[in-house]
Amino acid sequence: MRDVRAELQEIFRQVFDDPTIVLRDDMTAADVEGWDSVTHIDLLIAIERALGIKFATAEMSRLKEPDQNIGSFVRLIESKLQAG
Amino acid sequence: MTASQHDQETLHSYLQLDAPARRPRFADFVGALKAVSQQEDPDAARGWAARAVSPLLDYSSLMKLRRYVNGPNAGTGAATNAGTSTGRVVRLAILGGPTTIQLRQLIELFLAHEGIAAEIYEAEYGLFRQEILSPGSGLDQFGPEIVFVATGARDLTRVPPLEADAAAVEQFAETELSDWLQLWETARSRWNATLIQNNFDIPFDRILGHYTLRHPAARENYLARLNRSLAEAAPAFVVMHDLNALAAEAGAAGWFDPRFYHEFKMPCGAECLPGYAHSVVSQLRAMLGRSKKVLALDLDNTLWGGVVGDLGPGGIKFGQGSGEGEAFLAFQRYAKELSQRGIVLAVCSKNDPEKAREPFEKRADMVLHLADISAFVANWNNKADNLRAIADQLELGLDSIVFVDDNPAERALVRRFVPQVAVPDLPEDPSGYIAAVARHRYFETTSFTQEDSARARYYFENTRRKELAAGAPDLESFLASLHMKMKVELINDLNIERSTQLVNKSNQFNLTTRRYTLSEVRGLVENSEWQTRTFSLRDELGDNGLISVILLRKQADALAIDTWIMSCRVLQRGVEQFARNELVDLCRAAGCNRLLGTYIPTAKNGLVADHYAKLGFSPAGSDGASTFWELDVAAAAPLPHFIERDESRA
Repeated sequence: MRDVRAELQEIFRQVFDDPTIVLRDDMTAADVEGWDSVTHIDLLIAIERALGIKFATAEMSRLKEPDQNIGSFVRLIESKLQAG
Repeated sequence: MTASQHDQETLHSYLQLDAPARRPRFADFVGALKAVSQQEDPDAARGWAARAVSPLLDYSSLMKLRRYVNGPNAGTGAATNAGTSTGRVVRLAILGGPTTIQLRQLIELFLAHEGIAAEIYEAEYGLFRQEILSPGSGLDQFGPEIVFVATGARDLTRVPPLEADAAAVEQFAETELSDWLQLWETARSRWNATLIQNNFDIPFDRILGHYTLRHPAARENYLARLNRSLAEAAPAFVVMHDLNALAAEAGAAGWFDPRFYHEFKMPCGAECLPGYAHSVVSQLRAMLGRSKKVLALDLDNTLWGGVVGDLGPGGIKFGQGSGEGEAFLAFQRYAKELSQRGIVLAVCSKNDPEKAREPFEKRADMVLHLADISAFVANWNNKADNLRAIADQLELGLDSIVFVDDNPAERALVRRFVPQVAVPDLPEDPSGYIAAVARHRYFETTSFTQEDSARARYYFENTRRKELAAGAPDLESFLASLHMKMKVELINDLNIERSTQLVNKSNQFNLTTRRYTLSEVRGLVENSEWQTRTFSLRDELGDNGLISVILLRKQADALAIDTWIMSCRVLQRGVEQFARNELVDLCRAAGCNRLLGTYIPTAKNGLVADHYAKLGFSPAGSDGASTFWELDVAAAAPLPHFIERDESRA
């Protein structure tokens, strides 16, 4: 089984240039220093490239919506990877 | 090896590799950057990171480099990038239709790679019209020197309805065109700005399918027509940037990513952004006169297949009959076409000098001839030294050379020891050579004149002049043997483009390095306080064309030399002495007593530091960097030279 969370964590560390980032399910953009609307786009681009997936338009800004967090983001990516 | 030495070696060895070999080492490279940045000196890290910037890198890797190029405090909005070889800071405004944040960040990176310092103003997306037209806008307060209008097909406010007839479409196009002309003219009159204007990236989802071509009101047909009209109507102060060609290169379907456009208003897909930014910076580099000028070529397995020293001129793979031979032929044709548009060709080959020439002398099917090659260096020395020799021979800087060699080891050596030289990767298959060179956009230009198409011949003739000089008993008899004739003219409609090009391209023989756009030069010509002179030189060996421009301004009882530039290919020929005598005559005719000169030193014009002293001017002070000179016209005797004034009409 692919460890999506670990791969995602590495991408976060690269994009935000912080090797100490540890992702937890309950984290949101407010918990990561430097995560703003501009770096969010960089993050999406890096994830799409690294994991070979494509977000749907509605999914691109979903993390900014209420009740969304890293946990739901990881599940979204896992479902996209499974769908192939 | 200390930790620091280890980091240095990691940085060096990454930069000497081709892109595919760099990829697995990118993380190590960034690690070393980080170490250098933290342990020593962020400026050193900035220099290394800027060197690694390449259009062949992906978006995320470039953004990673950005942290080191801009320093840790890189913010958004107006920012000045450090690191400059010219000392000049370009004031660049980026006005988007779509959002330009990512584009601006990447443009900053490619500017740093080129060593172009810039202060950048970025408008909010969609506000390009208001920023230009509203007095007191952020752009107005910034006062741009160059305005990049980063618009695209989706920024058109009017498109003709599908049922519009040809006359109605014509009306739409004229209204559209006059709107753009007004934007440009406003930017020009308000800030004296030069513009880089995108054309429209034409979508491919054609409502009328193939019939689009035959229906003027079809959107894609209409956009293609606008692209033509814009390019034709654009005045000289507008440099067209062919966004539609970028879209075509990427494949229109791969260029536009509707997800990123709908959600974030991004102009194109993420992986097309680096190429887009690189393309804009290449135009900017051309506007600053810093495009590459020389294509230095290896021979064996670069211009033909196989080793001529082993196979002989008949045995090499070249020309019709085999696919690979035709691929080498196509690459020679590409080089030939570049030379026909003014790029100087050189050969840099490890070879026996006689054997290296044999294919050119003995094969009828060679596309390139010895006369196309302005500097031919074939020996067993290392190529770094040979490229230095080529630069010396052509009197051009190393940073104007692109070196093409099929051998990765030679590429690595040159990248390491002469990092100023641009060295593109070359694939194993010669069919890929043209694209491998072309994708770097080394040779962008903002104009094309007769002089460009004749440049290769000038350099070739110059090499022959040097050979003659070597055989002549002394310089004077050599110069006399050339039977030089000089035509002196004011700047006029026929030579204004070439004159402006020379003003903007000359770095070495340039006393003040003042740059003027075409319309500024036209303004000087029409201003009675200014005098202009151009000099065109012919001799026994050929026509050198227009090789010197002098701009003077009347100041009370004196004529002040604002600009004096000369092409370096006519150094040591007495052109300066001839021109100085002309200026003295001009001074007398204008009723002036003194000729005033200024020398403003730059990194590149040390050649002319003593220019005025050599021409008999007296020092008249300095302000630290610049030196001032004056010549009492009444007491000035003519300087000797060997140039006859050409009084014939054109």
